[in-house]
Amino acid sequence: MGSFEIKSLTFSYPESERPALDHIDMTVRDGEFVLICGCSGCGKSTLLRHLKTVLTPHGKREGEILFDGKPLEKADLYTQSSKIGYVLQNPENQIVTDKVWHELAFGLESLGWPSETIRLRVAEMASFFGIQNWFLKNVTELSGGQKQLLNLASVMAMQPSVLILDEPTSQLDPIAASEFLETVKKINRELGTTVLLSEHRLDEILPVADRVAVLDQGKLVCYDTPKKVGNFLKNQAHEMFSAMPAPVQIYAGVPNDLECPLTVRDGRNWLNRLFSGKKVSNTEPEQKSVCFSEETVIQMKDVWFKYEKNGADVVSDLSLCVRKGEWYSIVGGNGTGKTTTLNLLSRIILPYRGKILLNGRDLAKYTDKELFTKNLGVLPQNPQALFVKKTVEMDFLEMLSGTKLSEAEKLQKVREAAKLVDMTPFMQMHPYDLSGGEQQRAALGKVLLLEPKILLLDEPTKGIDGHFKTKLAAVLKKLQQTGVTIVMVSHDIEFCAKYADTCAMFFNGNIVASGPTGSFFSGNSFYTTAANRMSRHLFPHAVTNEDVILLCQKNR
Amino acid sequence: MRDVFSSFHPIVNFIYFVLVIMCSMFFMHPVFLGISLCSAILYSIYLNGIRAIKFNFLFMLPVLLLFAALNPLFNHEGATVLFHIQNNPITAEALIYGLAAAAMFVSVIIWFSCYNVVMTSDKFIFLFGRVIPALSLVLSMVLRLIPRLKAQIHMISNAQKCVGQDATNGNMLQRVKNGLKILSVLVTWAFENAIDTADSMKSRGYGLKGRTSFSNYRFDRRDGLAMGFILFFFLPVIFGALTGENNIIYFPSVLVKPLSAVSLIVYIAYGGLCLLPLIFNILEDIKWARLRSRV
Repeated sequence: MGSFEIKSLTFSYPESERPALDHIDMTVRDGEFVLICGCSGCGKSTLLRHLKTVLTPHGKREGEILFDGKPLEKADLYTQSSKIGYVLQNPENQIVTDKVWHELAFGLESLGWPSETIRLRVAEMASFFGIQNWFLKNVTELSGGQKQLLNLASVMAMQPSVLILDEPTSQLDPIAASEFLETVKKINRELGTTVLLSEHRLDEILPVADRVAVLDQGKLVCYDTPKKVGNFLKNQAHEMFSAMPAPVQIYAGVPNDLECPLTVRDGRNWLNRLFSGKKVSNTEPEQKSVCFSEETVIQMKDVWFKYEKNGADVVSDLSLCVRKGEWYSIVGGNGTGKTTTLNLLSRIILPYRGKILLNGRDLAKYTDKELFTKNLGVLPQNPQALFVKKTVEMDFLEMLSGTKLSEAEKLQKVREAAKLVDMTPFMQMHPYDLSGGEQQRAALGKVLLLEPKILLLDEPTKGIDGHFKTKLAAVLKKLQQTGVTIVMVSHDIEFCAKYADTCAMFFNGNIVASGPTGSFFSGNSFYTTAANRMSRHLFPHAVTNEDVILLCQKNR
Repeated sequence: MRDVFSSFHPIVNFIYFVLVIMCSMFFMHPVFLGISLCSAILYSIYLNGIRAIKFNFLFMLPVLLLFAALNPLFNHEGATVLFHIQNNPITAEALIYGLAAAAMFVSVIIWFSCYNVVMTSDKFIFLFGRVIPALSLVLSMVLRLIPRLKAQIHMISNAQKCVGQDATNGNMLQRVKNGLKILSVLVTWAFENAIDTADSMKSRGYGLKGRTSFSNYRFDRRDGLAMGFILFFFLPVIFGALTGENNIIYFPSVLVKPLSAVSLIVYIAYGGLCLLPLIFNILEDIKWARLRSRV
């Protein structure tokens, strides 16, 4: 119970030339854990949505899907609702009711079960997922990770035989994401539920998947065990390869005929075998050239902040100093005050003690106009909050509405900004129709029209895949070269390690350590990149995949 | 502090408040008013602590005195004239009536403040979901949506502030324009996200026939017993109302039935009814003290 057979499925959206799915053939066996990966817009979601009739998008469709040997359309709504569980991407949007217990019972109520049975099921699920402690709470009191766990639990309460998850962790921070994936693994292992999961952060989930399907422009290019898929992508030099876990990428960058490692532990063993009997002499990665000046643009001096007079301090005794043209990134766990610090810098909130200086002048003394035009640009965590018009172009023009430029000059400026953020082909689209990475860049372009000298970014890589991350980084690097200072808050260690000049670790409302990226990460033993964790016994200062690959090649 | 009365079945809570608030409104007899007012104040303090004390003394007491003082200025009925203000007689009856009406008004307000604490949205939804099942889901969804919209508008406003386009930026016209823009973003956002919610509902079988309504509440023996107590105290009060024990005539002169054994019983019953939540709490405290001493 719980198998799928997809036979030559082709699907195209209305008014679209290219099929979104192109002759997909795949089988999912009962109890299997299948991972589906691919770039944004490759058809992952479209494929998954076809596996449940009520969610299937409208369009032209050929081919057949069998669920437990029978055509899927033949299974009635009741069977599909209870047997095929579906968890969507956004934790907030999926929650329907205001109480945790009510949400858990929602599906069972729909199925029309009596109260006694629902009570038992709900109790079972709450215990299995460790929800007892927040069972009676309002859903607004939960964290993002808890919300997604609640969504999973309320689907599991209906005891489905197949669980489908569409990028369930893209909106979660790394700790919450790994906790969530751990639970999914547990469901697969202990309940034998078939799992189909699409994901772009593969580090953790790839090693446990039974089979991996790689989609590219609607085609199934590869469907095999993780190791074989790694090999395949490497041989094809496929774009998706950049999403593979660090050990796989490093393995691929070094010519060798050993077995492909998937986890950090395997990667260490692989390195040991690679260098067994050889002397490793060259252990220092190349130093990044530092291109920022010594001039200070942002300075925080003993800053304290709390939301209520009797509340706890969110930011306490914080001092930091950012220099002109620097890419400064703040990393650290959830709720340590990172975003609050960014809000302090953008003057959305004010400190109750201490001083913030911008270009040597007190931040509180700036007028709004002085502060936000040609000075400070802020990119919010959710780019959707910035869009106000029907098309991206109109949205961009909106930013210039207060200036005295002529129409032609405005258009010229908008075009330049669009080019800078690589959005030229999308200017006539509705901002909400763009994918996450494109929205992020559109919002950035909008902010850039105010010609900021300092850019504040709040988790710019949240929910976007490797391809878009690279694009975003290229845009930001370009800006940095024109002298723009970047202050970024992020959970994405790999991204910070690759691009930032300086990293600072936030803990308990304060910076506990900071330094140039390379020495910062190689000094940490847990809070560091996978490449560093895997290779630190040989190359203690190598931080990025490229560092390790280069050192491996040098030492052979 | 945890209130024991709140832990009873919602129907018990609801019936109790309906009865007590009705009684407080209809019985203008000073003894009844006094009992109701005192019990309401005590219970509200028990529920809300220092906040209730502040509320009762800073707001309710002035209201009570104001009402009592205003009535004789406008109402000149009554037989006992105390003195004249600009040829208008001020009567003792009007003064007493004003005081009584004010006490009634204030006690009802305080009872409602208790009702608000005890009858949480959960309970309300449960009760009315029984009558109209679809309504209970709608109410629950609305309660989910409101805080989300509030958080979202805050987020949009912050984002717009940082590009100089918040409702706090610019001149009056600019502000209005920016405010409307934020609202339009909010609406777009809400519709966009509602699609996800609809998908999530459909995928969990919403729309199938024969939807049931689950609740955490069960009417058990304890609830039955509590209902019994409520009736036990309420019946004598009704009896009193029928025989005129609870009635009072204020004009032209104050007239009440003389105190008798029957009226005493009715008073005690009413006191019991009004103090019932506190009695439950005290009984529970005693039970706990005893349980602990036995360990």
